[in-house]
Amino acid sequence: MDYLDFIDSVQSLADGVLFGTTYALLGIGFTLIFGVMHKINLSFAAASIGAAYASLLILAGVKAPPALVFLLSAVCGGGIGALVYLVGFRFIPLANPLATLMSTVGLLLLIDELIVHQTEGVPMNYPALFSDVMIRAGPFNLRGDLMFVFGLGVACMLLLLLLLYRTKLGLATRAVSQQPVAAELCGISIINVNILTFVITGVVGGLAGAMIGAAIGMLSPLLSLPLTVKGLIVTVIGGLGSIPGAIIAGLLVGGLENLFQFFRGVSERDLYIMLLLFAFLVFRPGGLFAPKAGRD
Amino acid sequence: MLELKGLTKHFGGVRAVDNVDLTVAQGEILGLLGPNGSGKSTIVNLICGLFPLTAGQVMLRGTDISELPPHTRVGMGIARTFQNIRLFGQLTVWQNLWVAQNSSEQTGSENFLRRWLGGSRHARAEVDRALEFFDLAHKRDELAANLAFGEQRRLEFARALAAKPALVLLDEPAAGMNAEEIDQLDARIRKLRGEGMTVLLIEHHVELVMSVTDRIAVLNFGQKIAEGTPAEVQANPLVREAYLGTATAA
Amino acid sequence: MDFYLGLIQIIGVHTLLGLSAYCVLLTGQVSLAQAGFFAIGAYVAGMLTVLAGWPIVPALIVAALVAGAMACAVGFPALRVKGLMLVVATTAFGEAVRLFFFNFNYQLERGGFKFGPHGGEGFRQIRYFPEHGWSTFDVMLFIWVAVVLVMAALWWMDRSRAGAVLRAVGEDELAAQSSGINVTAVKVTAMTVGGVIAGVGGGLFAHYTTHIEHVQFGVVLATFAVAYPILGGLSNVFGTLLAVIFIQGFLIEGLRFMGDWRNLLFGGLIVLAMNVRPRGLIDAHTTLALKRIFRRKESAGA
Repeated sequence: MDYLDFIDSVQSLADGVLFGTTYALLGIGFTLIFGVMHKINLSFAAASIGAAYASLLILAGVKAPPALVFLLSAVCGGGIGALVYLVGFRFIPLANPLATLMSTVGLLLLIDELIVHQTEGVPMNYPALFSDVMIRAGPFNLRGDLMFVFGLGVACMLLLLLLLYRTKLGLATRAVSQQPVAAELCGISIINVNILTFVITGVVGGLAGAMIGAAIGMLSPLLSLPLTVKGLIVTVIGGLGSIPGAIIAGLLVGGLENLFQFFRGVSERDLYIMLLLFAFLVFRPGGLFAPKAGRD
Repeated sequence: MLELKGLTKHFGGVRAVDNVDLTVAQGEILGLLGPNGSGKSTIVNLICGLFPLTAGQVMLRGTDISELPPHTRVGMGIARTFQNIRLFGQLTVWQNLWVAQNSSEQTGSENFLRRWLGGSRHARAEVDRALEFFDLAHKRDELAANLAFGEQRRLEFARALAAKPALVLLDEPAAGMNAEEIDQLDARIRKLRGEGMTVLLIEHHVELVMSVTDRIAVLNFGQKIAEGTPAEVQANPLVREAYLGTATAA
Repeated sequence: MDFYLGLIQIIGVHTLLGLSAYCVLLTGQVSLAQAGFFAIGAYVAGMLTVLAGWPIVPALIVAALVAGAMACAVGFPALRVKGLMLVVATTAFGEAVRLFFFNFNYQLERGGFKFGPHGGEGFRQIRYFPEHGWSTFDVMLFIWVAVVLVMAALWWMDRSRAGAVLRAVGEDELAAQSSGINVTAVKVTAMTVGGVIAGVGGGLFAHYTTHIEHVQFGVVLATFAVAYPILGGLSNVFGTLLAVIFIQGFLIEGLRFMGDWRNLLFGGLIVLAMNVRPRGLIDAHTTLALKRIFRRKESAGA
């Protein structure tokens, strides 16, 4: 491989890592819900894209600054998150994990269809910040919009970690995830914690959706399934219930995805991601940050 | 019948079981006492093979079973009940007993396929007999999840016996029972001994333990601190200390 | 008339897909890999009849065995992961199979035409049925013979000790192990049987549609595969059949007149169904109640 190819491959890796923050946020969403409720919310990626769409549709006639669009996407994400909880989880007895799995599948289909309905299947352009900025660092180009996405993602993660580990709400969330009955007996309302968890992950998801739209340049309902699969892969590689794991795994998958694409092309790219997952499942099934083994 | 040599289990930094030696003679009823967290349930889990041991050996009738998977140990004659009942809730009472019957001796048929698919008439008769013995025959088609608590406990016990084990490990079978039910439990445990089984009983209910066991071993913090007849153990000051704390606390 | 026969064919094939997931779900493993085994069955059966000139029944049998072998291979590593991780792992496997066929080229030339799988274009001209003079009715009958055989086998299994053992493992693995059940053997067997059934379904699918491509075997199909038994209820095979009839027949075809709203209704209906009847259409209670109606014996006491 000659020097130019090497530069290009590192470039794709770097771009991929920057984009990988969106995967990281999706992974965080999946892992947080799983950590608190021990259930999978398969509609999460779709809801995130849905929130981004919502922000576009709400501001349809208005020439709004991109920052407002992003903010609105986050807010919509939170709202959709609460709705998902109410409709998909609240009334289904805890002992039925299959039922909640199916209900989230139903929600995924519902959200996708709503998007197709409202937009008639036509992809929509998404505003990006700093898209015309290009920083040169030696032989490499750093795209401004990707850098912004990365920065936003990092800020979001830091805020989330702060929320979980430095606030009372975060403490309550962690308590519920470890011992729901005991937490309830301590006066913590499980329903409220669950709703708040969904709202928080919804906000994170809405932001992720906006970031994906900004990085790719447009939104399409076809995004939800591949994003769901990637998000789940990131969650598993990072370790179920681990937020730092999801972060690192997201960056890893983002970077490697671009690298695989550079070397082997788009059609084979995802195959290698699957192989990566299988490698983890065989050699390190707990993921990067496996949850600590309990006493039974 | 059962011998534990230097049995040790660490969970990360916690020494749940620390170098425990214990022998259970054929046909005896051994009680295992100790405050909560002393390692009793962990020992039962280790004997059954539900998790790997850190050090030591488990010997059944002279054979080292420390490396064998749980279902093989059951096939060799060990059975257990669970502290928090673990029935197959969506299966009927009858089915709960039926799945537990699988050592070839008592399905009456050596053919693996037949055993898997139907079991013999003999096997089915055995299940009915067990239901009668435990007073559950009238509930045979009820889903296990719908039984009353006392009935569930009896079913748990019945399921442990369904595989006709030589050694039965009872993990707090009396929890939540009233006096009448405990008397029945006492009688059933004695009947087991009468049929040649060996019993390891973990229990907090002092009267039951004193009444029904031949010998008692006491654990504290994962270590065995006393062993002997019920009378000997009751008089042992270390045991008093483990349960009640030292004299100054009075 | 052909339209309805076609619908019945689809219902038949999807029932096989659903039943393959049913087997695996009984043991508590949520597998989104069934579409992958389905795909393997489809391509293998297609290649055997088109490229090697085999008759349909041996081709289906071999396709089923290959899919089953693949399932067995998946079954062992699947043991190491549970819950969400198994869902993801099986999804990834299904996707890997799809991507494999996306990149798979194996064509033979015959009489100026090229036959065989051709990457993204798929596998066209699987024309065994038309070439041998089978009418749509014949094909439908053939499919349903397979469905009835599989359902009968699973029904019989459900009533036997094997069925109770499978469900015991699905209920509580720890208790099952402690009751002497070899959980590993049970789970891998269930996965293998599921693979075989999916293989048969896939082979039949390839032949009645005559043209298959990788897109058809994606996550959506995998989700449908588990949706059927979950929505129908896991207590017996008829639940799955009912769910397939309902979803394919009623919703997709019957609501055609609703046009775009049909898919919205679909998603919404699933959500509603899971809230109202989390254990599926035919759950354990319903099954027991039905049994009591059919059994003339009087239950003793109480």
